[in-house]
Amino acid sequence: MESLGAFVARRKGDWEKLQQLLAQQRSGALELGQLKRLDSLYRRATGDLAYAQSFFPGTDAHRFLNQLCGSAYGSIYQPPRQHWAAVRQFYESGFPGVFRAEKRFVASSAMIFLLGLALGASVVLVQPGGAELLVPARMRQSIAERRMWTDDILSIAPANLVASAIATNNLTVTIFAFASGILAGAGTIFTLVNNGIQIGAIIALCAREHMAMPLLSFIGGHGPMELSVIVIAGGAGLMVGQAVIDPGDLPRRQYLKRRGTQAVKLVLGCAPFLAFTGVIEGFISPGNLFPGPVKIALGLLLAGAFWTYLSLTGRADEVESSASKSGRR
Amino acid sequence: MSAWSPRLDVAIPERVSLVLPVAGIGFRSIAYLVDALLLFLFWVSAYFLFSLVLSDFVGAFLGLSGVGKTLAIIGAFATQWLYWTLCEVIGRGQTPGKRLLSIRVVSDDGSPVGVLQSSVRNLCRIVDFLPFFYAAGLLAMLLSRENRRLGDLLAGTLLIREERIELDKYERAPADGTSTPIPAAAEQLSPADVELILTFLSRVQELTVESRDRLTAALVKRYGRFLSDHEYRALLASRQSAEAFLRARAQPRA
Repeated sequence: MESLGAFVARRKGDWEKLQQLLAQQRSGALELGQLKRLDSLYRRATGDLAYAQSFFPGTDAHRFLNQLCGSAYGSIYQPPRQHWAAVRQFYESGFPGVFRAEKRFVASSAMIFLLGLALGASVVLVQPGGAELLVPARMRQSIAERRMWTDDILSIAPANLVASAIATNNLTVTIFAFASGILAGAGTIFTLVNNGIQIGAIIALCAREHMAMPLLSFIGGHGPMELSVIVIAGGAGLMVGQAVIDPGDLPRRQYLKRRGTQAVKLVLGCAPFLAFTGVIEGFISPGNLFPGPVKIALGLLLAGAFWTYLSLTGRADEVESSASKSGRR
Repeated sequence: MSAWSPRLDVAIPERVSLVLPVAGIGFRSIAYLVDALLLFLFWVSAYFLFSLVLSDFVGAFLGLSGVGKTLAIIGAFATQWLYWTLCEVIGRGQTPGKRLLSIRVVSDDGSPVGVLQSSVRNLCRIVDFLPFFYAAGLLAMLLSRENRRLGDLLAGTLLIREERIELDKYERAPADGTSTPIPAAAEQLSPADVELILTFLSRVQELTVESRDRLTAALVKRYGRFLSDHEYRALLASRQSAEAFLRARAQPRA
């Protein structure tokens, strides 16, 4: 057996060359010949690592080789670079594809949200005092005075500040609905029910006070789309919750990783739609620039288009590829 | 490598297993604070920069068109969220804070993180932050085997330490031939013993005089069992000769 010092002295030159090529690769200036050299040096370094592991475990030489092979491994087995083409492909098939594959989670999320909505509404309808718990005081006051609270907000702050505040709030709710799925789904369910109850209570209160039309004309433009996004993010959260609770045949950490990276596609896919909704909420929804029915029609149209896009885009390819893959499944 | 520090074993296609040292909570927290500080400084300097260019910053902002204003605020909000994922994807698993602390996010198979994994772990900050200042994340890190916060668990990622390891100590030539010759009968040292001696010799400069002498004496005693009492005392008489003896002892013999 070779001694430690002799081993290091004999191989050190190659290791340093590999380090240098790796640095060069990182800055993106590698020629074909160098790439081949990098590959063969990497392979030899892994051989050295195996040797050091057997004969010199725990020495600095071993740790050095570990470090070297680790960083070389990271450089060589890189995931493909994401380009704009990948973004396009994501919106053409990835995002709608995941949506269709995970329909049942989105449907459950919608059910939970509607449950909250019904709960909030029925509390206020059956027991009017319940509104004091569920609807913020300022909102209750303006509803009692037959004004929309949104007019209130607008007279104080400029419309666009409201829009951005609402948009960032919606982004936070969306992200939270997804991320809190890691708490075994409890966070997601809470977010969905909570938002449902509040919105249900407000709608019921407005209906009781004969303010339904002003409310609908305010939320009609952006509401359908916004709630769609939150429901879909909730579906992503439920996917995560299910993965935590029931990983099936796989080890939990492996299944979590797989489902987490699928679920996040739903959230990332929704982001631009949510930003767009924020713009509508800021500029079209408040005020009387557009008549109520127009806003409601616009809102329904946008949400309809969104769901149609999710249900149909890229489906033809999917059917084809699943037909060709069906033998393997 | 201390025995208790968590490690990640990765089987790579080259049929060896890589052992990657996992970064501890301390490293991760400091890296976070550095990043948070950078973001803070970014906003402060952006504010002053705008104030320099535009005499009335707030006025100019309010004077923007509605869409411009909304986009500016949404952009600012997005910066907070995108900073982490953009840095991690472009910086091959390192935000500036992580780079400073020499830690790196990797997938749990040792490969670099992609956009999706990085998005998952960074979106989960909102939960890890609960109920205040990353309490949930810290708790998860304490309880999980590889110091993973909830976002790491969901994304299948973890943080590894990148150590800078010098190989110089293996190459220091033995001192000139004035040291005691090592008899052929002396047993061959194991790699672990050689490593111990070389590591000690590479660090002697950092030791206090007393520790240096005490450890030198202990090592000479341990690896010089063949020495007579007289030789032992003669060696220890001068620090230089004792260390030269150790260096010679660590050298392989034909």
